Formats: sequence, C-alpha cells, structure tokens
Amino acid sequence: MPALTVLYDPLCGLCRRAHGWIAEQPKLVELSFVPIKSEEARHRFPNLDHARTLKDLTVISDQGAVYFGPKAWLMVLWSLSKYREWAYRLSSPELLPTTRRVVSLISQNRYQISRASGLSR
Amino acid sequence: MTLGITTYLIYLAVSIALTVWVARTLHKNGRVFLVDVFHGNEALADSVNHLLVVGFYLINFGYVSLALKLGYNVATAQEGIEALSVKVGMVLIVLGGMHFFNLFIFSRMRRRASLQNGPPPIAPDGFTVVQEA
Repeated sequence: MPALTVLYDPLCGLCRRAHGWIAEQPKLVELSFVPIKSEEARHRFPNLDHARTLKDLTVISDQGAVYFGPKAWLMVLWSLSKYREWAYRLSSPELLPTTRRVVSLISQNRYQISRASGLSR
Repeated sequence: MTLGITTYLIYLAVSIALTVWVARTLHKNGRVFLVDVFHGNEALADSVNHLLVVGFYLINFGYVSLALKLGYNVATAQEGIEALSVKVGMVLIVLGGMHFFNLFIFSRMRRRASLQNGPPPIAPDGFTVVQEA
C-alpha cells in the first residue's frame, strides 16, 4: 500500500476540521499529517518549496511525487475508500476546471471562511 | 390427453429447457468475472457463482410455475400454439431481464474491485526528495 503525507495548515480552523474528518474516514492509502512550516516538514522534505505550502494544501507520496492545491485534494479523496470514485469523477477533463476553481476559491478564503463559520478559535 | 394438457406440458418442457440453458451460460461465463473480482480466489468465486445461479433458478422456476395457468380451454391446435407463444414469450422476457440484471451485478462488482487498485487520478506537480522521519 502506498503512503501519502499531507502538509496542512494548523492555524486555519477549516483545515483542522477537514483534518479531523479525513482522519476518521476509512482509507485505501495510508495518510499521515504534518503541519506546514514545522521542523518535521522541513526535515522530511528538504528540497520542497515550503513557501508554496503556505498557500495550498500539499500532498507528497512516499515516492516523492508532490501535489499542490486541487491536485492535493484529489489525492486525498483518492485515498479514502468511500470517495475514490469521486476523485476520478472530479479529475475528468470535463470537471477538472471547476474542481480547480472551487478548491482555489475555498483555499484562498480559508481564514475568512473559518472565522465566518466560527471554526477558528 | 386433452389439447390443454398437451399445451401445458410443452410449455413446461420449453420453459425448463430455456431456464436451464440460460443458467448454465451464466454459470459458465460469469465465473471469469467473479474470479477477477475476488482477486483470483477461485473457491470464493465458485461459491458466489453457485449461489447466484441458485437464486436465478428459484426466481425463474417460480415465475414459470405461477404463469402456467391459461384460464381458458384450448379447443384447437391453433389456439394451443397461440397460448404457448404468449406464455413462452413471457418466460423469455423474464429470463432476459434476469440475465441482464445478473450481468449488471457482475459488472458492478468488478468495477468496485478494480477501483480499489486504481492509479492516482492525476499526474503530480513535481518530485521532491523524501527523508525518513
């Protein structure tokens, strides 16, 4: 079974909430979570563009393949047994542009969304 | 033996023969699908295959038996053949429906199984060095 590492933003309430939800889902692929900008993140991925991980969710496979933003979200869906079909659906040529737009919109406004929905403490 | 009884007997013979033929086809050709679905576990595939065929027989013979009664007397040979064609036609349609339903189940099981070892949905943005934790 391949393994994926998810670099997430622990300062954003929405991301913490998503992290909790993902952690509870049955998985087809092993997922581990590492907070962005942490010692562990820098140590494990010395050559990674860490500035970019501030902007986008980042997923890295154990082979070193890096996925940013919408692609990272698709990889997370792909790793969950209940949502693998959705990962294929959302990454089809017809839906990929919409997926990108929606994910970047949420990602860019994640602090506002967290505040508005009362998820940030 | 009256014409009515003859019609019934021919109906039963034809229906049973058709059901057995379709069930055997299903049994023989469905096995490959199931072996694939269960990742080469042939014992499990054979077991599921057999159970599916038993259900298939039960439903079809149940229908054949329920649909036997004609409800009127057959006076001429022409009437007998007409009655027979309606009854056998209905059996054929039910068999066809059941057969496609079975195919649908096979293909769905197979799709589920193939999803489990599906490749990543998209190509990565790049590659990086990974240090052991």
